[in-house]
Amino acid sequence: MRLLMKRGHALACVTTAILSASTALAADFPSDPIEIAVHTSPGGGTDTTARMVALVTQEQLDSNVFVQNRKGGGGSVAMSYLSEQPADGYTVMAVTPTHLFTMMRGNAPLSIDDIQGVARATDDPIIVMVRGDSDYQTLDQLIEAGQQGTIKWGGTQIGGVDHIAAMSFANAADMTVSYVPFDSGAEFAAALSRGDIDAAGLNISETRDQIEAGEFRPLAVMADERMSALPDVPTLAENGMDVSFSTVRGYVVLKDTPQDRLKVLEDAMLSGLASDRYQEYLQGIGLDESSIADAEAWDQQLHRMYEAGEKTMTELGLMQ
Amino acid sequence: MEPILTGLGILTDPVAIAVILLGTVVGVLVGALPGLSSSMAVALLLPFTIYLDPIPAISMLAALYCAGTFGGSITAILINAPGAPPAAATAFDGFPMAQKGEAGRALGMAAVSSVIGGILSLVVMVLAAPALARIAHSFGPPEYFALAIFGLSMLASISGKSPVKNLIGGALGLLIATVGVDLTTGVERFTFGVPQLYEGISFIPILIGLFAVAELLSQADVVDRAMDRIALKAIKLPSRDDFKRVWKTILRSSGIGTFIGILPAEGSTMAAMIGYNEARRWSKHGDKFGTGEIEGIAGPEAANNAATGGSMVPTLALGIPGSATAAVILGGLQIHGIRPGSYLFENQPELLYSIFAAMLVANLVFLVFGLVGARLFSRISLIPRTFLWPTVFALCVVGAYGVNQSLVDVTIMLITGFIGFWLKRYGFGAAPIIMGVVLGSLVENSLAQSLIIFDQDASRFLERPIALGFFLLAFLSIFAKPISNGLKGLKRRRAVNGGHS
Repeated sequence: MRLLMKRGHALACVTTAILSASTALAADFPSDPIEIAVHTSPGGGTDTTARMVALVTQEQLDSNVFVQNRKGGGGSVAMSYLSEQPADGYTVMAVTPTHLFTMMRGNAPLSIDDIQGVARATDDPIIVMVRGDSDYQTLDQLIEAGQQGTIKWGGTQIGGVDHIAAMSFANAADMTVSYVPFDSGAEFAAALSRGDIDAAGLNISETRDQIEAGEFRPLAVMADERMSALPDVPTLAENGMDVSFSTVRGYVVLKDTPQDRLKVLEDAMLSGLASDRYQEYLQGIGLDESSIADAEAWDQQLHRMYEAGEKTMTELGLMQ
Repeated sequence: MEPILTGLGILTDPVAIAVILLGTVVGVLVGALPGLSSSMAVALLLPFTIYLDPIPAISMLAALYCAGTFGGSITAILINAPGAPPAAATAFDGFPMAQKGEAGRALGMAAVSSVIGGILSLVVMVLAAPALARIAHSFGPPEYFALAIFGLSMLASISGKSPVKNLIGGALGLLIATVGVDLTTGVERFTFGVPQLYEGISFIPILIGLFAVAELLSQADVVDRAMDRIALKAIKLPSRDDFKRVWKTILRSSGIGTFIGILPAEGSTMAAMIGYNEARRWSKHGDKFGTGEIEGIAGPEAANNAATGGSMVPTLALGIPGSATAAVILGGLQIHGIRPGSYLFENQPELLYSIFAAMLVANLVFLVFGLVGARLFSRISLIPRTFLWPTVFALCVVGAYGVNQSLVDVTIMLITGFIGFWLKRYGFGAAPIIMGVVLGSLVENSLAQSLIIFDQDASRFLERPIALGFFLLAFLSIFAKPISNGLKGLKRRRAVNGGHS
């Protein structure tokens, strides 16, 4: 009995010690600069958004938050860097659908279960777009044309989110699509307005002015719900197709990162994202506050996107 | 007119002038150092511009970009290490001049021709930006393919070395450009499982290897002759006669640069190459190019700075960046809530004119910087080789590493350095290799894209007038000389026959 009590006492002491240590840790975190690893070169939406997020998050913390470009391998260079860092919350990685596709192909040292979502900064659904003077007035007309002939469809690199989205849509609608890859969204937007291609999957952030001017006509949104900016444009889901793809940009840490540190990061990011400065940025690129999601929602979305993507890629024979 | 005046109003704002000056000075410095690129400098400055108004902020970045393109020529001339890709062509004749003890003349010429090229292109922009934006917009994959073919048509003649060796060098460049994931098939080529090669080999390590490291290895072969450094003519600036000799070259290159610059995608590097080649073609001393001809500096420098101004047009009007730095400036626009696109010119014309005003100031500032600096920097060429080249090597390693913070790039730099040294020994020039690397992915991707657009029917290239025009230029660039020689021969024979009858 005495022994037990002693042991109990000792246990309590240890527990208190651990607890106080961890609260001390939480209070100390972050004491060093925090890195956001980005998988692209400077410039471009992912890098620009990350720099914006670093700026607004830094204003919430005592530490610096900086962006480091770790380019290569469809995100695998950034992912292997993250996997080599301690799970201490000081290394944050920007995640886009590209990372998930790289993981699916087995080209990454990390799996979806090794990462933990912190917050999501943008959510930009892909819109089925044709030229304003196109013969395709409705989604059905486009689908019909694609069933009888071939639709030339523009997007970014093969195996990226635009390609998977286009192929999923073609598969669901039973159309034939001839996919033309370009280096950037602005390039295939220009190709669409020249008439080099028939249709493209574009984001509102790239095309808001052209839609307003009637140069482009949105036919459908690849999302579960209609977009507030385009209330009259139906979703593919409404048309009986379970095709939902979006250019999402969010941030993750390693799964083993202590909960309290994750919480500190999440709170700082979320208050940063809610700031006027970030909201203005979002509006400037044609998005709104619905882009922002907390750790739980973003982590769930990551898993859902991963599963849906894996299914599509297997069905389309894109898995290597 | 009113938007022009509103735009120029930026020149009366002391804060704007101060940040433009800051951008210019930073630009020249990072442009000159091989690993510090102006795209990185712009990315680092981006968060700070948030505290400025949009117009001074973007003006600062544009001034930095402009000055960075000029800065690259300083190290290209002095140590054969182009600080940025557009300066590669400047090294062809610039470095030989520095070795002959004419560094000051070369640097001065680079500064003056850059400024003239830059200002002329800005004048064209102010007068015709919306029209030029329409031209840029009409360039699709077929037009790019034709443009790239025109570029490749110069391969055989671009350096004074033998045409066969030039073609072999060009093929090597094209081969290097195939590394990475193919855009239209998604297949990995020559990546050997190295993820850093997935997006292709970066241009900067190749440039540093081929120029600076190869030169360093050659220099290691040469005994340092202290007597080489006798003359203080190294700090002499170009003379009036020099300018008389090059003004036509400068004008021609400014035109080339302005036009090529408005086309998105590595415009200024290609403009500099074409500017160099045309300078050579029209020069009386064309055969001496590569040994230190002053037109060989004026040609690429006027062209690349003209292209820098030009590349702001597709960046602003189409949202398609004309270069890596323009891509970051594009991000800067978005941070300030400015949406690039064809509607920008209609909705916010004053922004356009402010940017041009800022670039004008940047040009004037780096003219002063360049001319005063030329006397100072040219002394670098007086440093004994035993001290200079080890320092250059350290700079090369840092530079190659700095691009992507990757040791793979350092390895690439070392390998291309040895290859470059070896090729040089056997009489191959760097120019065709660089040309091949620059054009490789453009020619391949645009052909693949065009064929999908044309339903695999190559004859439909004939439906595109701009493409046809470039094919015609390519044809002329290859066959003009044989044809004119043939005609001359015919005339001579006729004259001889006429004399007899």
